[in-house]
Amino acid sequence: MTGTAAVLTGADAGSGMPVLELREVDVLYGRVQALRGVSLTVGAGEIVALIGSNGAGKTTTLRTISGLVRPSKGSILLRGQPIHTLGAEKIARLGVGHAPEGRRLFGRMTVRENLDMGAYSRKDRAGVRSDFERVYELFPRVKERSGQLAGSLSGGEQQMVAIGRAMMARPTVLLLDEPSLGLAPIVVENLFAVIREINQGGTTVLLIEQNALLALNTARRGYVLEVGEVATSGPSQELLRSPEVQRAYLGM
Amino acid sequence: MPRLGLLQRPQPVTPQAGPRGSGTSTFWIFSLGSAMLLLMSWLLPWFVRPTSSGVGYSPMDVVTSSPTGIGTILVYILAVTMLIMVLSPVLEIAYRLRKEATPRRFDTLRGIAAVIGLVSTVAVFVLARIMREEPLFGQIDSHSITDSAVWLTMAGYIIAAVTYGARQRVTHRPSLAFGAVALPFGLLLPLMFHQAPDFILWAAESLAVYMLLALGLNVVVGFAGLLDLGYAAFFAIGAYTCASLASPKHSIHLPLWVLIFLGAAVASMFGAVLGAPTLRLRGDYLAIVTLGFGEIIPDLATNNVGKLTGGPDGISSIDQPALGPIHFGTNKEWYYWSLLVVVIVVIILLRNLERSRMGRAWVALREDEVAAAATGINTTSTKLLAFAIGASISGIAGAFYGSIVTVVTPQDFNFSVSVSILSMIVLGGIGNITGVIVGSFALTFVIFWVLQNLNEWSGTLGQTINVPTLGNLNFSQYTYIVYGVTLILMMLLRPGGLIPSRARQIELKSGGEEESLAAVQGRA
Ligand SMILES: Nc1ncnc2c1ncn2[C@@H]1O[C@H](COP(=O)(O)OP(=O)(O)OP(=O)(O)O)[C@@H](O)[C@H]1O
Ligand SMILES: [Mg+2]
Repeated sequence: MTGTAAVLTGADAGSGMPVLELREVDVLYGRVQALRGVSLTVGAGEIVALIGSNGAGKTTTLRTISGLVRPSKGSILLRGQPIHTLGAEKIARLGVGHAPEGRRLFGRMTVRENLDMGAYSRKDRAGVRSDFERVYELFPRVKERSGQLAGSLSGGEQQMVAIGRAMMARPTVLLLDEPSLGLAPIVVENLFAVIREINQGGTTVLLIEQNALLALNTARRGYVLEVGEVATSGPSQELLRSPEVQRAYLGM
Repeated sequence: MPRLGLLQRPQPVTPQAGPRGSGTSTFWIFSLGSAMLLLMSWLLPWFVRPTSSGVGYSPMDVVTSSPTGIGTILVYILAVTMLIMVLSPVLEIAYRLRKEATPRRFDTLRGIAAVIGLVSTVAVFVLARIMREEPLFGQIDSHSITDSAVWLTMAGYIIAAVTYGARQRVTHRPSLAFGAVALPFGLLLPLMFHQAPDFILWAAESLAVYMLLALGLNVVVGFAGLLDLGYAAFFAIGAYTCASLASPKHSIHLPLWVLIFLGAAVASMFGAVLGAPTLRLRGDYLAIVTLGFGEIIPDLATNNVGKLTGGPDGISSIDQPALGPIHFGTNKEWYYWSLLVVVIVVIILLRNLERSRMGRAWVALREDEVAAAATGINTTSTKLLAFAIGASISGIAGAFYGSIVTVVTPQDFNFSVSVSILSMIVLGGIGNITGVIVGSFALTFVIFWVLQNLNEWSGTLGQTINVPTLGNLNFSQYTYIVYGVTLILMMLLRPGGLIPSRARQIELKSGGEEESLAAVQGRA
């Protein structure tokens, strides 16, 4: 399985260097250690899943990548450049889009204004306009509701706007924190189809998902977090076959 | 291609104000604005000089006295048309309460009344003031203030005519409508009171200065959502800076026109410096820290830090500016005119700021700081800029204040000043420039004009109706009751202020971040 080794390092997409790399990252919330030596890589054009039980540190991992939380040890590299010392706004400008846990839309802005905020740091108006079209095309429902206040949308609609808002920054890496939370199964299926489509458009995706089966079926590779540490990782198919993962996350 | 539009509903329901809603608010601005101008033109000359009487002081006096000439018939016509105009908003309310549309011919009637009123106002003004036709009006007193009242009446009619004529065109632009009402008002205000020197001082020292302060605080509290309870500190910094540089205190005499910018720059610097330690704080914690600043700064001034501030006595004999041949010290109304220009410029700048990228960033920050940071907003510089811009406006206000009052002391900037500015924006509508203008006008009028003069008025009334105890009341001690009652009533009855900002409107309708039970049940 020579291909597997290449996939494991995430360096198979031709660039030779992972788009995103975490090296031995520790995160402390006061005295609580949320992450312990977490290392992971995401290759260009990949979808990578992050699974784990509640409180394992998945959200913390994404927050650390996007600069909302600072690591106390270790480093984070974006295309080989260290970003863990930068502010969240700089990291966002470097191409990391984050659809945070719980959506966190600007409730008293309209849907259109929310999407517009996603493009806050962009100057190319024409590009922003075409990205509006793209988001509307991916989520026709969002287009329909563009004049409505984000806070008054249904949960699923809000999730679409949250992903759309992250897309508006034209990120190279998209961080999605439980996009399926609270959505009906049919909507989840559609949402994941859109995520795959976004990925095919060239955006690298790092995805947190409680539904391990769905996550691993969507992603090429996965990492399993347990109490702040990476317990296992590997190509999705391998993880799906692994007995521990099956027992702990697939309910088999 | 996957599509997420499975549950199509035919019509998206938007909770925003539709075109009809904003058209309605334009209508209200116009009709209430014109009604207010008309009322004030007839009633306020009486307020200002309650002891003076006699024909010629106000159009009302003409109506209430027996006719002295054939020309007074014109004034009666004026009174009738004015009554129609003033009552029309009341009728409108009555129709709305019964959920009926106002009849068309009512609109026509108002239109005709406006035109007739306008024509007769012009006729009265020309005949009585320019051609001085005494046989028509009886004796004409050359020092009367009727002409300014007539000017005001005219403005009222013009605005009223616009209301019914150009209503369709400005329907979607309430702020344009507000500007059209407020600007002539600001211009005519001192005209109406040209015999009342205190009034021009009120208009400059209290109204214009506090309006600037309220606009500045609104940037911090309203736009950026940072509750600042010590805003008077920046006012003090601006005022002391300018007082030091334009008085014998340090023998420096810079002109006011330079000091405006200097005061703004120094105050904004302090705004950023004092804002820095509060960056991580939110809500109540931030409020408490700013409260501390508000106490420390006047304290430092009292203790004469570095022998710069002159201790409890402050800095006195501040220079009076001049503009060419006009000396502001002797012509205090020029303070008002220059402040009017400054206020207008500040309002225009703030409106643009609100709509700029920075304005959007403030809204995002107010809504969700984490999400704002994740979308690439620099939360640190965005907050600091709000503090700096807010403070810079109070620096301008401080420069003018010191110059008008000619002496600044630490007491001028104590906590009560912060409270009064905050009350103004709460009354008018936090985050809404129009609301802040209305709120600062209303409160400064009540606190610094009505309450200050009420003693004299009630004394006069007491003499007239033979109740001498009325003359012993001291109304100015009720200032804080007015603030307190204003704040309590606003929070209970209209928490978004008289003219709520869009965000507040939404918040009140939907019950804020946490959906209220009523909202969930569809009752709110
Ligand atoms: N702001 C915070 N302050 C203190 N502790 C925190 C904070 N945020 C998270 N934690 C702790 O860090 C640990 C990891 O939390 P995290 O939110 O990353 O979990 P998660 O894997 O996303 O869980 P879930 O699946 O429930 O969302 C938890 O034990 C949590 O209690
Ligand atoms: Mg989580």
